[in-house]
Amino acid sequence: MKNRLTARLTAFAAALVLHAGPVAADIESVTFSGFGTLGAVASDTDDLQFVRVGTEAPGSGRLNFGSDSVLGVQGNFGFGNGTEAVVQVLARHTPKNNYTPRAALAFISFAPSPEFTLRAGRLRVPAFMLSDSLDVNYAHPWVRPPVEVYTLNPFADLDGIDLLYRTRIADVDLELHPYFGRSRVNIAHYGHASLSRLRGLNIGLSKGPLTLHLGYSRARLDLRWGDPEFDRLQHALNTFPQGRLMLAEMEGDGASASFTSAGFHWDDNRWQLIGEYAVRRTSAFVNSASGWHLTIGRHVGATTPYLRFARNRQNSPIVSRNLSMGLAEIDAFNASRNNSQRSIGAGLRWDLHPNAAMKVELARSRIENDGWGAFYPQGDILSTRVSGRTVNTLSLSIDVVF
Amino acid sequence: MAILLALGAHPAHAEEVLIVTARTGTVETLSRDEAEQLYLGRRATLATRISMLLDLPPGRTRDHFYRTLTDKNPSQIRAYWSRMVFTGRALPPKEAADASDARRLLLENPGAIGYLPGRYADDPELRILLRLE
Repeated sequence: MKNRLTARLTAFAAALVLHAGPVAADIESVTFSGFGTLGAVASDTDDLQFVRVGTEAPGSGRLNFGSDSVLGVQGNFGFGNGTEAVVQVLARHTPKNNYTPRAALAFISFAPSPEFTLRAGRLRVPAFMLSDSLDVNYAHPWVRPPVEVYTLNPFADLDGIDLLYRTRIADVDLELHPYFGRSRVNIAHYGHASLSRLRGLNIGLSKGPLTLHLGYSRARLDLRWGDPEFDRLQHALNTFPQGRLMLAEMEGDGASASFTSAGFHWDDNRWQLIGEYAVRRTSAFVNSASGWHLTIGRHVGATTPYLRFARNRQNSPIVSRNLSMGLAEIDAFNASRNNSQRSIGAGLRWDLHPNAAMKVELARSRIENDGWGAFYPQGDILSTRVSGRTVNTLSLSIDVVF
Repeated sequence: MAILLALGAHPAHAEEVLIVTARTGTVETLSRDEAEQLYLGRRATLATRISMLLDLPPGRTRDHFYRTLTDKNPSQIRAYWSRMVFTGRALPPKEAADASDARRLLLENPGAIGYLPGRYADDPELRILLRLE
């Protein structure tokens, strides 16, 4: 599979070079730009810490700088004839608990006509309405896009191809965005997951202040957990037949996963309304869950105060009740991988400079009785109660683009 | 600052913005839809190739231009463009140092289009593609 894709990408790249010809392959224009966020989030409890589940390792201490801080640098290299290469290097807190930079974008794009753009290489998995700009906090009103929705799919990098088709019908801008490829993420602390045969279609509509997004994708999911607690559980379950059946639901190869999202964004010069709903359906290894958020903001001079509501709920756990025999260890495993919670947040964005925004958000999150929400225990994992609690968090950040 | 002063001195044209190209340029017509799509990065070029899309530095003319053409305020435009750039979809227009620098770039690049304050309406070297009020 990998070889086939590589062969296709190579053929595509070769076609681009042939098309561009030896003269036009020279770089005509180079543009460098970047973005960054310095952010901190604190919770009002000693034993629970906010964590961006799936994209960062749980940290230690009540103040977490890792959740939102990010630095990205991008180079656009124009070759003429509608051919361009884009490389973006990004550093942020990873599931392996470091800040090792990675290539968030590294693709060649070719626009044979104003409506079509073909791209190949490292792209973004466009699972959500805001996937493309997930790390560019400056582009958003919040400190971070609501985690109740945005942790549903941690896969960010798409290694593959996509096509952007843009047209205008009457006064509506339409964008069709089919894509195909594979993706991989690390899981704290030494696990990993991958999507293969990932294929999807996004539809975007823009008319004046309104933008609509619809997206659907399917993939094959392979997953390995990698933390000491899971290792112990795995060891214990391997000792009896029913346990091995449970393990087969927890990790392995060849699960099917699908993802659907729908969202809208309204911004006239006074009001900002943003809402999104997303559903993840899986046959094994991660739970099936859905999430929504709704944000209402008001532009007042250089500030935009907002209120947001969000909820994540589980539709089916990783290991079903029928299979788990009511074992407390399995319930704990299910809960620790269930991000269900609901939250209300009040925040403010302040555009303090043409290239910088400052944000603050106070949020109250109620973790569901069978989940861990967006929180991780600080001390002893086994004895700390997470489910069913209410946690207040205060987030502060400064975003820049340059 | 120079733009502000100049606008102040020409109150008759203070609220008009012109989308222009060189008189000898290759672009002969431009619809309002096309202009909006170009300046929002929703298309990179026209049937006639556009070699350069010009912007003015932050200020009254630029704010008025985007407000009139796209109905977006300055911070919305900046947030919008940060989305377009860092998703690798488009590059923002090239920012000229000021209006006279934009005029110079237009004259040097036959495929370039840009926008200028209304006081350039009678400039014999320029072709007006669109008037925004």
